[in-house]
Amino acid sequence: MAARWSSENVVVEFRDAQATAMSVDCLGQHAVLSGRRFLYVVNLETPSEAPRKISRQSKWDVGTVQWNPHKSQAHLFAASSNQRVDLYVWRDGSGEAHTSLQGHTRVISDLDWSWFEPEFLVTSSVDTYIYIWDTRDTRKPTVALSAVAGASQVKWNRRNHYCLASSHDGDVRIWDKRKPNTAVEYVAAHLSKIHGLDWHPDNEYILATSSQDNSVRFWDYRQPRKYLDILSCQVPVWKARYTPFSNGLVTVMVPQLRRENSLLLWSTLELNSPVHAFVGHDDVVLEFQWRPQKEGSKDCQLVTWSRDQTLRIWRVDPQLQKLCCANDIVDELMEGLTLTTETEKNLRSQDSEPPLSPGFTAENSQDQFDGPQSGVSGLPQTLQQEFSLVNLQIRNVNVEMDAVNRSCFVSADCGASRVRLVVKFPAHYPNNAAPSFQFVSPTNISSSMKTKIQKILTHTSLQKVKRNQNCLEPCVRQLVSCLESDGVMEDGTNPYVFTNPVTPALPAFPRVTNTYGSYQDSNIPFPRTSGARFCGTGSLVYFTRPITMHRTVPPTEPTPRSLSALSAYHSGVMTPMKMRTESQTTLRLYSGSPTRTDKDQVSISSFYYKERKSRRWKGKREGGDYSSRTIKLAGKVIIQEISCLLPVHKALGETYVLNVNDIQDTCQKNGAAALAVGRRDLAKVWALASAATNLDLSPDPDPDAGTPWAKHPFGRHLLETLLEHYSQMSDVQSLAMLCSVFRGHGSPQEYFTLYGHQQPRAAILAPHHSRYPSFTSSSVTSGSCSSTSDSASTAWTVVGRESEHAPPWGESSPDDYRYANQIYTDPREREKEQHDMNKRILDPSNCWQFDDFKKCYGEILHQWGMKDKRAEVLKFVSCPPEPHKGIEFGVYCCHCRSQARGTQCAVCKRFTFQCAICHVAVRGSSNFCLSCGHGGHTSHMMDWFRSQEVCPTGCGCHCLLQSTF
Amino acid sequence: MISYISICIKINEMTYFVSVINTVDTSHEDMIHDAQMDYYGTRLATCSSDRSVKIFDVKNGGQILVADLRGHEGPVWQVAWAHPMYGNILASCSYDRKVIIWKEENGTWDKMYEYTGHDSSVNSVCWGPYDFGLFLACGSSDGAISVLTCSGDGHWDIKKINNAHTIGCNAVSWAPAVVPGSLIEQPTGQKPNYIKRFVSGGCDNLVKLWKEEDGQWKEDQKLEAHSDWVRDVGWAPSIGLPTSTIASCSRDGRVFIWTCDDPAGNTWTAKLLHKFNDAVWHVSWSITGKILAVSGGDNKVTLWKESVDGQWACISDVNKGQGAVTSITDSQQNEQ
Repeated sequence: MAARWSSENVVVEFRDAQATAMSVDCLGQHAVLSGRRFLYVVNLETPSEAPRKISRQSKWDVGTVQWNPHKSQAHLFAASSNQRVDLYVWRDGSGEAHTSLQGHTRVISDLDWSWFEPEFLVTSSVDTYIYIWDTRDTRKPTVALSAVAGASQVKWNRRNHYCLASSHDGDVRIWDKRKPNTAVEYVAAHLSKIHGLDWHPDNEYILATSSQDNSVRFWDYRQPRKYLDILSCQVPVWKARYTPFSNGLVTVMVPQLRRENSLLLWSTLELNSPVHAFVGHDDVVLEFQWRPQKEGSKDCQLVTWSRDQTLRIWRVDPQLQKLCCANDIVDELMEGLTLTTETEKNLRSQDSEPPLSPGFTAENSQDQFDGPQSGVSGLPQTLQQEFSLVNLQIRNVNVEMDAVNRSCFVSADCGASRVRLVVKFPAHYPNNAAPSFQFVSPTNISSSMKTKIQKILTHTSLQKVKRNQNCLEPCVRQLVSCLESDGVMEDGTNPYVFTNPVTPALPAFPRVTNTYGSYQDSNIPFPRTSGARFCGTGSLVYFTRPITMHRTVPPTEPTPRSLSALSAYHSGVMTPMKMRTESQTTLRLYSGSPTRTDKDQVSISSFYYKERKSRRWKGKREGGDYSSRTIKLAGKVIIQEISCLLPVHKALGETYVLNVNDIQDTCQKNGAAALAVGRRDLAKVWALASAATNLDLSPDPDPDAGTPWAKHPFGRHLLETLLEHYSQMSDVQSLAMLCSVFRGHGSPQEYFTLYGHQQPRAAILAPHHSRYPSFTSSSVTSGSCSSTSDSASTAWTVVGRESEHAPPWGESSPDDYRYANQIYTDPREREKEQHDMNKRILDPSNCWQFDDFKKCYGEILHQWGMKDKRAEVLKFVSCPPEPHKGIEFGVYCCHCRSQARGTQCAVCKRFTFQCAICHVAVRGSSNFCLSCGHGGHTSHMMDWFRSQEVCPTGCGCHCLLQSTF
Repeated sequence: MISYISICIKINEMTYFVSVINTVDTSHEDMIHDAQMDYYGTRLATCSSDRSVKIFDVKNGGQILVADLRGHEGPVWQVAWAHPMYGNILASCSYDRKVIIWKEENGTWDKMYEYTGHDSSVNSVCWGPYDFGLFLACGSSDGAISVLTCSGDGHWDIKKINNAHTIGCNAVSWAPAVVPGSLIEQPTGQKPNYIKRFVSGGCDNLVKLWKEEDGQWKEDQKLEAHSDWVRDVGWAPSIGLPTSTIASCSRDGRVFIWTCDDPAGNTWTAKLLHKFNDAVWHVSWSITGKILAVSGGDNKVTLWKESVDGQWACISDVNKGQGAVTSITDSQQNEQ
């Protein structure tokens, strides 16, 4: 069975052909392959014979070649070459260019012979015109259809001899050749460029379009708004054409990987999964055509030409044809499928022990294998094909494949790690059924590594089978790269690596150029090509792709996850387009291929392509030179000023003042400054601040003189409400300024003692968690305070006096009293402290947070370049900078140059620094000349230079002039 | 060609005009992957698939190429400026598995250090808060995160967290120096002990929080909400408020805002900012927090602002009542 699929085709290699196009004549006798130097005519009856050649003189590749489909004119074929169509006559084993059609001013994108009139030929071009030629009069086209937009495809209707269709980017236009001025119908078919267009062979209104947007859509052009059906693929579709037998469709994908099957047969009635995959070509299929059936033959033959330079002929027998058309058979088939799935499931669930006994496994797999084969003849059985085609020439890896049991045994050795893996393929693999992976002995890697590998393999295989693609090779490659990277990682730590000299040196860092976008990149995130970042204080820096760079996938499809998606754009994959572009520069933009000069190097930009000129441009510069504009891959970086969105103002940063000695004045000035920048709310706040800091409200030092202003609703409570408000706005500028002003406010002497380090006693402050915006409700209660301070080993010195534990409001609790008894001998002292606490408008328990505001604002001031303003604000930070502990000057021993501490060098044991006067080692205050290096005890030096000018050592240095003693 | 245009942004019915102050033509030969300005906003660093890092002087709307740094052997994904108190230092990370730290000495930029300890593409670099030294976190596709700390004499101390994220780590971001919750129970009036913490996002769809304990990095929290690879994380700057905020974005199109009011930092709640139609690649916080810039595969940038009542709204022009978001870049691009 498998034999039928893989060997029934004819394979002929034409190594030097380098043909870009192919066509089969209407008699099914010849195929023409168009290379740059020769056209090769292959006799399809005896394809292995050397082909006849027709030489051609052109620097352009052939764009399209097509035999005349009428038997009367079967000796004629047309080939387009840049702006010209050459008509060739093939007679008696030799051919020659017979005439040419010239009229287009830009490259011809497609040509098509009429199905009804043997003399008529239509051509489409980037020059926006579609010409219909009568080959009997080749001087000029008989009809010119003006499309305004350049066309990529043009096809005659097979049923209506006036009707034809053309594709323009993502749109399709339907023409009546009798009305050349305007199209009969417009179909907005796709979001991306249409690569292929094909009329239904029997229905004059139906056509199929294949597009870059990963879909094939079926249209009835009388209903241009809604497609009849859609075939969604994971990759762009190069061509989709109806089959000569009914309800069939053949597609060529732009594959993700070189060896993936790109040639698929579908039933138009059942688009969920392909009916058949034509496996064999190693590279992109450039062209496929049906060879007309011979009399009496029920087989169809598909002729394909690939970039692997082979021509293949595939037989499609009636059974396979039937799979496309007969609905009932498809149903049967589907039933069979579901049945097998179910039995498989049952088998799985019945057998709860995961490791099946070998015998059972084999039998089971055999069943699964036989299922589709015997039950549903004609179901593609691709595992064997995959096994036969898989390329596993990987170092240190051995794969034993057993197609009968649907399993394979992978052994990989990498450094000291050894992996043995059994891969089992379920019956429906690769149709959305992933294989299972099981480690067997003597695998010696860690269990975490096993988990990791298992995860990666499952992920890889799922990704592939979701698209009904084979996954063995990618999985094995993943396994190897995973092992290698692990080996590299553990290189330093793994002792086995060194004890095993046989192990070849691991490829430490394979050079990246060739691996970019390959399997190993499946875990590297897809690169960002646009982004925005807030920078500095008020700038937003952003970069985007140039507007002309478009994703090659439709917008509905999310951007790929990982960099490995780029492998689709690696050399050879986008070839159908690339081959043309290499020679025909004018085609570049039109064909939408990435125009990297460095062909071997894939770049992220390959994922995006540059669109043709936008319509806006077109209107202005009709017929402008397409090729003259170079493509810019990097967009501009834009810096935006967004400081108006921020709650902080640079202008205020400059104009705000902080004068501790005159808080009233500070508030008024700041209020005016706020008004000047339009912050009326802040102006009012400063007015309030001014009122609250009025000297009339200054607290009395005597606790008995009444409640301090801070306890008034307009005191601390008001300020806290304000701070909460600006906290929510994240206005750190206002927060920091208010905190600083109210911190400065209060009795001046108290303010200054804050910074004294000679606090008689360490203040005890309960650890206090609650800060804005919730501090009003949860400020210190005496209970929590005393309970923690009992075990107050973590006491901290805080600002101000040590009475922080007093409840800001509310009555003292019994705990308070107890607390006081423990520490204070004098209750009056305690009362006084509490009063000190209460008279402050800023709640001292939040001082850490206030400090944060100031630090944060200080940082912003710094970024604005206002260092002085920053210092002014940071002056109010409660936690002073660390006290200066003195700097010790190190001495390098003058004899041995080693660093010495003390008077004697630890190395050479000599005096490190000798006084030039008394010749004793200097310890303590010293002076020396920076010029000659001599010096000594300060007092000696002072004495000496009082009367002398030159160095006491007699070195002649005028030390006083040279340096500053 | 370059026109200075204004972009209108609406907040609470108030319209703000945001103006373009500079348009820098980087002349990179391939696509740009990151652009970042330094501390003072006077220099711009860009990096690209053309393997180069470029530094421009963008003072006063100018654009002078200061340096074209070559050294990477693959596309350069991200750059990061260090705080200027350590000098002009820039870190870059690349597909070539390297992290390069560049330093300007006497007006010329040179390699200061090259770190090659990762086994796969390094996707993200981020400098820690300057108050605690010069240190850098790097997240790589080999799943590991490295923290490089400069010891001052040109030597770099390396700590590597292996298998931080299964499959790979895509982003790292440090917690700000002013971290609520770190202030509790501090001994004696000195500067509170800052616990170094950072957040990372990876291919395991997780956001993870890490903290340093006794010199070792430990996983602190694991935040689950995304259904696809997490592409970026951003720890919001703190002005001293008790709430910690983290933004994360993912290929699943979702942007989450994670907040934690708990001083111990254990309970994080997620809030969905928006579900975009395409992968979201990058989140960035404004200097005072509250405004988030989001960008992704759709080539658009949107700005989001948290209102006083904690609701997030898109402030870059909301599209014709459709609820769909247009970008501030749309209008800009048309001018290009």
